[in-house]
Parts: sequence; structure tokens; C-alpha cells
Amino acid sequence: MFIADIRKDFYEVVANQRVVLLVAPDIDALCACKILQALFHCDQIQYTLVPVTGWQDLGTAFLEHKEQFRYFVLINCGANVDLLEMLQPDDDSIFFICDTHRPVDVVNVYNDTQIKLLIKQDDDLGVPSYDDIFRDEDEEGEDSGNESDEGSEPSGKRRRFDEGAVERRIERQRAKREWEARRREILFDYEQYEYHGTSAAMMFFELAWVLTKDTKDMLWWAIIGLTDQWVHDKITNMKYVTDIATMQRHVSRHSHRNEDEENSLSIDCMRISFEYDLRLTLYQHWSLYESICNSCYTSCSFKLWTLNGQKKLQEFLADMGLPLKQVRQKFNSMDMSIKENLRDVIEESSNKYGMKDIRIQTFGVHFGFKNRFLASDMVHATAALLESAEKDDSETDTFIKALDALSRSNIDRLHSGIELAKKKLIAIQQTVASCICTNLILSQGPFLYCYLMEGTPDVKLFSKPMALTLLCKYLLKAFVLSTRNKRCKLLPLVMAAPKDVEKGTVIVVGIPPESETSDKKNFFGRAFEKAAESTSSRTLHDHFDTSTNNAENRFLDGKLFLKFPERERCE
Amino acid sequence: GGLCLHQENEAKSEGRAELIPSIKLRHCCLLRNQRCVTAYLYDRLLRIRALRWEYGSVLPANVRFHMCAEELQWFSQYKKSLASFMRSLGGDEGLDITQDMKPPKSLYIEVRCLKDHGEFEIDDGTVILLKKNSQHFLPRWKCELLIRQGVLEHVVS
Repeated sequence: MFIADIRKDFYEVVANQRVVLLVAPDIDALCACKILQALFHCDQIQYTLVPVTGWQDLGTAFLEHKEQFRYFVLINCGANVDLLEMLQPDDDSIFFICDTHRPVDVVNVYNDTQIKLLIKQDDDLGVPSYDDIFRDEDEEGEDSGNESDEGSEPSGKRRRFDEGAVERRIERQRAKREWEARRREILFDYEQYEYHGTSAAMMFFELAWVLTKDTKDMLWWAIIGLTDQWVHDKITNMKYVTDIATMQRHVSRHSHRNEDEENSLSIDCMRISFEYDLRLTLYQHWSLYESICNSCYTSCSFKLWTLNGQKKLQEFLADMGLPLKQVRQKFNSMDMSIKENLRDVIEESSNKYGMKDIRIQTFGVHFGFKNRFLASDMVHATAALLESAEKDDSETDTFIKALDALSRSNIDRLHSGIELAKKKLIAIQQTVASCICTNLILSQGPFLYCYLMEGTPDVKLFSKPMALTLLCKYLLKAFVLSTRNKRCKLLPLVMAAPKDVEKGTVIVVGIPPESETSDKKNFFGRAFEKAAESTSSRTLHDHFDTSTNNAENRFLDGKLFLKFPERERCE
Repeated sequence: GGLCLHQENEAKSEGRAELIPSIKLRHCCLLRNQRCVTAYLYDRLLRIRALRWEYGSVLPANVRFHMCAEELQWFSQYKKSLASFMRSLGGDEGLDITQDMKPPKSLYIEVRCLKDHGEFEIDDGTVILLKKNSQHFLPRWKCELLIRQGVLEHVVS
């Protein structure tokens, strides 16, 4: 069931209890976790935090803790499956689920006792009504009762009554079949696309606000959570802009201070500000030139994998009057005169080159003289830490490192994350360039397909879901811009990369076709299930995102069986 | 050197005064060696005393391995001495002064588990599973020992 009052029905319930936090491996979940931890510290609510990387981990963690804990809080996992069926808990286990995955499984919605959803009900949910999917079974018993009564009547009348009873029974069965068919249709429509709702970090920030325990740190984490959804393309532009406006109200509230000559805040205090900043990834921590070359938006707009594109970039820089020497320097070392109006200058020139959206609404933070970060910087740095491919680090090790990087006292870790993020972006751009130039993207009928072979440089980076998904999106954008085949521009893309060479498994992701007005709904969850059935290869639907899959190598042979359910055809 | 005691005495009593400096030198060396050994043993004693504060009243086997029987006996007497002192403080219950060696900032602290430690019981009987990389928010006094042993790490945000 959906919780109506998050303070009364969630926070006050767990206030004197011990809780287990099960957290999924994405940045929004990490931010939500930090906010909740801060609240729990405030009120001394004892908890145990367990990172879970997939359904198996979730099941194991539940089994390990179910004897000792009654309350479980799941962050960014658990809403889109029948959780009670999966975990088979005792009757007194209670699950609080704050998950952005949609659609929410109908059993979770209509369970009154054990499942509590920390999800806003105005979040574009479209849940089917109860009567359409659940049916009380006691209607069956009625007529058999009537029939036995009627058996005592004289035989002449009995035949008539029997005919009537038989007709009614046939009618009932027909109605039941119709109902079941409609039910299948409704559920099919409801469950076919995977998409995402409001950020979990924002939900918990709202809880903090309602408790009037919100701090600037929590606000910053909520902003990072929202930005993560935008960076990884999980929400539509409109939702992003709406949510930014919501956060802007909070930022204004926190920044409202009568600052003047005498009463200025110390430079070390944390300040969050609204920024209408450039869409150049990590540009303040890099050189402007490298940022332009390695940001998806600019790289695709110029088509930097072609010689022509490189020339256009040089023209662009010349047009703005930016000397190459300056632009290749670290951003902080650029001349002040250049940095002053940089955003406006770039925006003006970008318009000439067809880049109308070079600026994006976002937020920045600054504390101390040296520490300035944009929300997207934080997302890229923590994502790089979370998915870093160090040999000795298990997935929980990287989770802990990424979680630490979100604290302001761990600036070193954040900087190391930024360096890793730069490497990751360069790897992505290089892989995109090589895939396009060597025509690695194949058209397989209803979809495009690309397989990264073992031995491709940086392929280890792409054995992780977020990195592979990012690569997939950039690649599709680039492909759509460089292909002349009109039909191919409307196709979705499936990408596969080796995950574990020894075990012979691959990781597969699928993304919907590229379009300006995408509603960010992904249909690959169902498609992968069907394809797995047809090839009878084992797929581990382990990831919480249904559009990402681990599978045996054999699954790739079955890619020809990737048929999309009929309804998508009308796109 | 090389003279035996008897000859030395003879030398002294028979007026062989030229041997006296050697005798004096040797004696000083012996005294110095004695002082060194005494200082070493005393230093060991101080460290063993510090062990009670660091490890609690039960020493790990690898530490006990390096102590001789007399030292172990001294340790247990020190323990008794400390325990009776602590009982005499703070009224009926006594006061455990080996806890909270640094002034605590909060009742509960966040700890991270550095290695798999299995089950850990806390005050009201609840058992927490200490698995590597899990984090827990627990009462400070329950965690102190494990932090000192390196199983848990205090996470400062």
C-alpha cells in the first residue's frame, strides 16, 4: 500500500526499532541512504546497512537478517516485483520500499499489511483498479447451492430450472473468461514498459523537511540524486525541470541570509546555488577542450569522430576567440578574462553551430576556497567510484568508497572519483568513435546490435551496468547522427559486452530508440525474458533494472529471437 | 682481565694495586648490565600494564605467548587490583573506567565492518550480523572493544 503520511506511517513506526537498510547500487540510492542515515543519527535509530547489488544479494541479505530484524527499508529496489512471493517472509516482517522503478507491482500496491510504499501517488503511476485484477472467488459457490435446492422440486419443473441454471453457469463462465482476458490485457499494458519515478533521495529529503530536520548536506544529496536521474537518462526533460524547480524552492529557503559587509558567512560554510551552467561534463575540473571533446552533447553535435568534426571544433573555438593554448589548460588556470563571460560566449556560439541546449539548469556547491562542484560532477565522480574495475575491490567495497565520497570530509576520495570519471568518459568516447568508424553496429531487423569483443580496450569498464548503459546511449546518439539510413534512425539499440570471461557470461542492455520527445520508457525487460525462453539459455535477471541482463554467451545467438510484443509496432 | 675471584682478592690484600682499575671497570660493567636488564624488565612491565587497557581483561593468545609465567601472574594481580579499585568507585555498582577513554561525542556511533565477524550480541539480546562492508549504527560502548580489535571501523561523516 502507499503510505499517506511519511512521518506518521514510516518514521514514527521505526523510531524505536532496529531497521535493516537494503540499498541498490545507484547514485540516487546512495544519496537517499545518506539522507536517511543522517536522520537516523539525529534520532538515534539503530540500523544496519547492507549494500545489495541484485535480486540474489537482496534475498541473501533478507535471509541473514530476518530472524533479528522486523523492519526492512529497501532503497531503489523491490517495487517492481512481487516482493512477498520472492522473499517468503514471516507475517511480522514489514517492508518499506522507496524505489524509483516503475511500474510498481500490483501485489505491492494492494497488499495492506506488509508492504509499505514510500512513493508519491501523483507520480504518474497508472495502477489498474483493484476490481480489474483481483476477483473474489466466492461467486462460484452460489449456483451449486441453488442447484441442490432445486433438486427437490418435481421433475417437470426441474428440467426448466436446470436449463436456467446451466445457462447461468455458461454465462458466468463466459463473463469470467472475458474478465480474465481483460485482466491480461490490462496487466500487459501496465507492465510492458519500465520507467522511473521521483528520485528516492528527494523523497527522503521531503521526509527530513517535514520533520524540520533538513540540512544543507541533505539538500545537496537530494540534488545529486535528482541529477543522477538526469545524467543516466532515467527521467524525461520535463520531469527534470519540474523537480529542479522544487529543489530551487528549498535552495532559496536555505540560502536566505541577510549577508552584507558585516554579517557575511565564513568561506568554509557550505553554499548551494542555482546555476544555468554548461552541459560540458566535468569542465571545471578538466580543461575546456577535453571537456568539449568528451561530453556526449558536444561530441555528437560536432561529430568529433570525423575529421570534419575536428575542423568544426577548431572553427568553433576560433569563433569565440579562445586561443587553443588557453583552452587546453586546466580550467582553473585559464585567464580570468576568459572565464568571466565564458558561459554566455559559449552559448552564443553554440547557437550558431546548432547546439541550442548547451546550457542546463542545475545546482552547484561551494565550501572553502578550493571546493566547487556542480551536481553533475558529483554524479560522474561517484558513479565512476561505484563501478570502478579495480581487481581487489568487490562490489561492496566500491559501494562503500562511493558512499564515502558523498561526505564533505572525504574530498580526496571525491577527487579520485573525478579522475576515474575522466578516464571513463574518454574510454566511452573512444569506444563510440571506433564502433562508428569500424561499423560495429549491425542492423538486426527490428533493432540495432553491437557487441564489444574481449580485447577491446577498456572493455572491463563496460562490464558494469551503468557504464555500459551510458556507452549505449552515447553510441545510439552518435549512430543516429552519422547514419544515412532513415529506417535505422528509429530503431532501438541492444549492446552486449563480456562480463566474466571465465564463466562465459555477458552483460546485455537495451535502450529505446533515440528521439527528442522520448518518454524514457524501456520495453526490453519483457523482450529479454521472451528471448531467453526461446533460446533456453540461462539469464540471470539479477539487476534491478529489467533492461539490463546477465546471460550466458549462448543468449547472444538468440538475439534474432528478440521480438517485441506486438503493441510497440505502432511507433 | 681473566683473573678469578680468588686471585683478585689476593691481589687486593697483597697490595697488587695495579689490578684495581681492571676490577673497578669490570664491576662497573656488571652494574651497568644489571641496570639495562632492570630497565628492560620494567619497560615490559609498563607495556603489560598498558595491555590491560588496550585489550581488556582477556589477552589474545599471541600476546600471552610472548609473556613469561611471572609476567602473566603479575598481569592477573594487576587486573585484580584494578577491578577492586573500579568497584570501590561510583557507589554500589562500581565504575568501569576502561571505557570511553576519550570523551565521547555521542551515544551511538556509526561503524563499518572491516572483516566478516559473524554474529554479535548487543544489550537487549538482539544479534547483529557483522558482515564485511556492512555498516551499523550502534551504542558506542558495545563497539569500543571491536574497534580496538580492528573488526569495526568508526565512520566519521
